[in-house]
Amino acid sequence: MKCGAEAAFARRIALAVIIIAVALAAGAAPSAFAQATPFGAPRPPEATGLTGWILAQQSHFYRALSGLVRAAKTDGSAFWGLIGISFSYGIFHAAGPGHGKAVISSYLVANEETWRRGIVLSFASALLQAVTAVVIVGIAAVLLGATAKMMGDTVRVIEIVSYALIVLLGARLFWVKGRGFLRTLHEVRSEAEAHGRADHDHHAHAHDRKVAHRNHCGHDDAHARGLACDHSHAHDHHHDEEDEDVLPWGHAHGPEPEELAGPGGWHRGLSAIVAVGLRPCSGAIIVLVFALAQGLFLAGVASTFVMGLGTAITVAAIATLAVAARAAAKRVASRRAGYGTLAMRGIEVGAAVLVMAFGGLLLTGYMVSERMGMF
Amino acid sequence: MLYHFVLLMTVLACGLAVNERAQAHPHVWVTMAEELLYAPDGSVTGVRNAWTFDDMFSAYATQGLPQKTKGQFTRDELQSLAKVNVESLKEYAYFTYARIDGKRHRDAFTDPIDYYLDYDPKETVLTLHFTLPFKTPVKAKDLQVEIYDPEFFIDFGFAEKDPVRLVGAPTPCTFSMQKPNDGNFPSSLRLDQAFQTSEANAGMGANFANKISVTCP
Repeated sequence: MKCGAEAAFARRIALAVIIIAVALAAGAAPSAFAQATPFGAPRPPEATGLTGWILAQQSHFYRALSGLVRAAKTDGSAFWGLIGISFSYGIFHAAGPGHGKAVISSYLVANEETWRRGIVLSFASALLQAVTAVVIVGIAAVLLGATAKMMGDTVRVIEIVSYALIVLLGARLFWVKGRGFLRTLHEVRSEAEAHGRADHDHHAHAHDRKVAHRNHCGHDDAHARGLACDHSHAHDHHHDEEDEDVLPWGHAHGPEPEELAGPGGWHRGLSAIVAVGLRPCSGAIIVLVFALAQGLFLAGVASTFVMGLGTAITVAAIATLAVAARAAAKRVASRRAGYGTLAMRGIEVGAAVLVMAFGGLLLTGYMVSERMGMF
Repeated sequence: MLYHFVLLMTVLACGLAVNERAQAHPHVWVTMAEELLYAPDGSVTGVRNAWTFDDMFSAYATQGLPQKTKGQFTRDELQSLAKVNVESLKEYAYFTYARIDGKRHRDAFTDPIDYYLDYDPKETVLTLHFTLPFKTPVKAKDLQVEIYDPEFFIDFGFAEKDPVRLVGAPTPCTFSMQKPNDGNFPSSLRLDQAFQTSEANAGMGANFANKISVTCP
């Protein structure tokens, strides 16, 4: 009885994971279609309702930027208008593609990160995006007098590096999380076998395997110990086998603040920050060059950083949502000892695969996050 | 409880998905004036495009280009940029799609000719002129030309004044324009409702962005 119920539960969780994957695939699909059939058929995805409104707002703000930069040339107070619009633009703009929302969110889910860390990652990557934009335009256009094509080519190189880093990040997560999943699967199986033996007494053939895993979880008391047993073991494995810089996935209560600040603390997210934040926002580059042409480069720099601040707020909000959803999933999962943990491991693996997939799609051009025009 | 879980995860997934789906965020705005060129025998030989870019993109595009007079660019000074533009546009099929007597044509155009860039020093905007000749001149009762960026990084819109002209067309020919209507900004987001339907249905009642339809009885 008990085994049957748990299997059904696992199936439902698996279903939920599949739903997530399908929804994400659907989200990425339109651009993939656009790429696959260059002629005629594809059109911009339906943008009505909230999405349409967001797009309209960000277009509206973006177009207002040019007027404000011009006005700031003669009227100092227009500068503050520029700052305000840049901030609003950043907030709405980040709701569009790019800016690593999906990558950061998946990373947070896969790596069992806290919402605080999610917010820090979002702000750091947005800041890095602004810095890259300013550095590119500052060096290329201001110092070297480079053309738009040269800047575009530079951005493309950075883009490739950034996407490759995302793939690597995902691959590393997949490796670590995949092993965690297999290990939990093992434990759950041996636990189930223990139950099977107790309930039905016809699982004699499982005896050998069961003995092999005796050290993981005493099978007789497995039922009584439930999750606690599973957790402590997963935790031990972590310290035995994993890199120092990966959170223990068996950890039920999230990392303690001391852990975050400890060795491998904040710098652990650095790879994610760099992977996501390296590629500058095209809009920022265009605004910077435009400001430069108006003789107001510094106003453009200010605008870029404020835009980054707005972007960070949106990305952080979405990242927080992802962390909250994961926490909720964990609460549900923790009600079913072994299978619940297994489901969480499965979700982490799925999220790691998503990070890889996003990187791969971006790298191969099947998913296009930004284009600079016609160069 | 399980349903809550499924619900939450679905919300999370949709959140991510919507954000990747909302891929349209243009950085370039183009105001276009289109001319359909007719041969004496009444066939359409090509499409002449005049695309004016927004001021920010124009500033970006002209960054670093040598100029004799500050604030001005001659056609010669812009010619290398024009070349880069039309060559890059090839990858995107010039964002120009033709449908002849209801049938979509792949690669209907040859490489562009007569291309150049103009700079308007007053508005500080660039206009890209280029002509797309049809591979074979089109003699059709019904010709449709659509111009849009499927990925919407470029927001195309018709010019307010003389957006479409038929040059040398036989008198009975008439044209109509379909703008992305409905008044919602950005206008080009009006969609092809037939995106998911079959090719056969694609032309029926579809609400295409920036479509020019010419009918010659």
